[in-house]
Amino acid sequence: MPAQPDLNQYRELARRYGIAAAPESVSRLTQLVARQDCCVDEIVRVIEKDPGLSARLLRVANPRASDESEYTVGTVDQALMRNGIGCALLLAMGTPLSMALVKTFQTMLSLKLESVDVHELDTLEGEHMRGSIGFSGKVVGHVYLRMSSASAKAIAAGILGLDAAELGPDEIRDAAGELLNIMTGNFKSNLCDAGLDCKLEPPKVGMTDDLTTPVEPGGGLERLAFRADPIQIFIEVTANPFFD
Amino acid sequence: MATKILSVDDSRTIRLIVGKAFRPYNVTLLEAANGEEGLAVAAREKPELIILDVTMPVMDGVTMLTKLKEDPALKAIPVIMLTAESGRDNVLQIARLGVRDYLVKPFKEDQLIEKAGRCVTLEKKPAPTPA
Repeated sequence: MPAQPDLNQYRELARRYGIAAAPESVSRLTQLVARQDCCVDEIVRVIEKDPGLSARLLRVANPRASDESEYTVGTVDQALMRNGIGCALLLAMGTPLSMALVKTFQTMLSLKLESVDVHELDTLEGEHMRGSIGFSGKVVGHVYLRMSSASAKAIAAGILGLDAAELGPDEIRDAAGELLNIMTGNFKSNLCDAGLDCKLEPPKVGMTDDLTTPVEPGGGLERLAFRADPIQIFIEVTANPFFD
Repeated sequence: MATKILSVDDSRTIRLIVGKAFRPYNVTLLEAANGEEGLAVAAREKPELIILDVTMPVMDGVTMLTKLKEDPALKAIPVIMLTAESGRDNVLQIARLGVRDYLVKPFKEDQLIEKAGRCVTLEKKPAPTPA
C-alpha cells in the first residue's frame, strides 16, 4: 500500500486532471484478489453486494449454459469454491475493460454500445478480425477482441471521422489495435493500483478464421459481447493470478 | 506564425485524431512514433507543446519525458500526457517529472483542445472565402 501522502497527492492530481476512478466494488474486489491470504467469504460479500458482478461471475462459472435455467452453479459462494480466485480476478479485469470500451464508443464514435449476452449476437463465422494483447507480471493472460470485417471498418471510420470507403487495411488494423490499447490500459491501471503489477505487450491484430481461445494453465476465461447496430464486438479475457 | 505542436504516439490512429482536432487552428503538427523519434524532432523543431503517449516501442513516454526534462534546451516545453494508463504510480511518477497536464484515453477532441489551449495560444484559421 502506498503511503498516505502519495494517496492524497494522487487524489488531488486525479481531480485536477479529470481522471475517473474505477467503481468502488471493483477496486475493493481487485484489492482482495491481490491479497493472496484473503478469505473467500470477504470476496463473496463484495460480489454479492453488486448484482452486475454476481451475474457475471455466475456466467463465468457456467460456461456451457445458454441461459440461467441451465446453470449448474447457482450461487456466488459455489462459483468461487469451484472455480477459484481466478474467477473473481476476471470480474475485476472485465469491468474496467467494458467501461473503457463503452466510453470509447461514446466519446470517439458518439455511439451507445450496450453490453449483451454472448448468445444474443450472431456467431462469428469464417474469417474475422482478431486483436490480442498479452500481459504478464503478478497476473498473466490475454485480452482478445474479435469482430467481423464490416464491424472493424465501421469502427475505424467512426474513430477517424472518415468515410469507410477511404480506409485501407492498415488504418482499420491500427484503429482496432488502438481500441485494444485503450481497453487494456484502463484495466491495467486498476490491477496495478491494487498491487497486481503487470506489463502489457504491444497489440497484435490480423485476420483469422480460428475461433479457439487459448487459456493459461490454471486460468479462467470470460466472454463479453457488445452491440451498437450494426457493430458487434466480442471480447475474451483470460487470466491466471500470481504467475510470478 | 503557426504554433508548433509535436504528437508522439505509436498509434497512427491517435496521431490522425490529434491532427483532426488541431485542423481548425493555425497549428503546424509534427509527428513521431516513439520517444526516440520524439526527442529528435523536439531537438530539431523546438515545438511549443508536446502531446505524449506512455506505452510505445523503442522508447516509452516516461523515458522521453525524463530525457526532455534533463535537457536545458527542451525542459521548458510543456507536455500533455495522452494515455490509457491512469494508474496511481504512473500518474504520480509522471507528475513528479513535471508534466503540464494529463488526458486519459478515450478522449474527446475538444478536451484535448481545451488542455492544449491552457499551454499555448491556439488561433482559429480564418474561414475560407466563398469562391
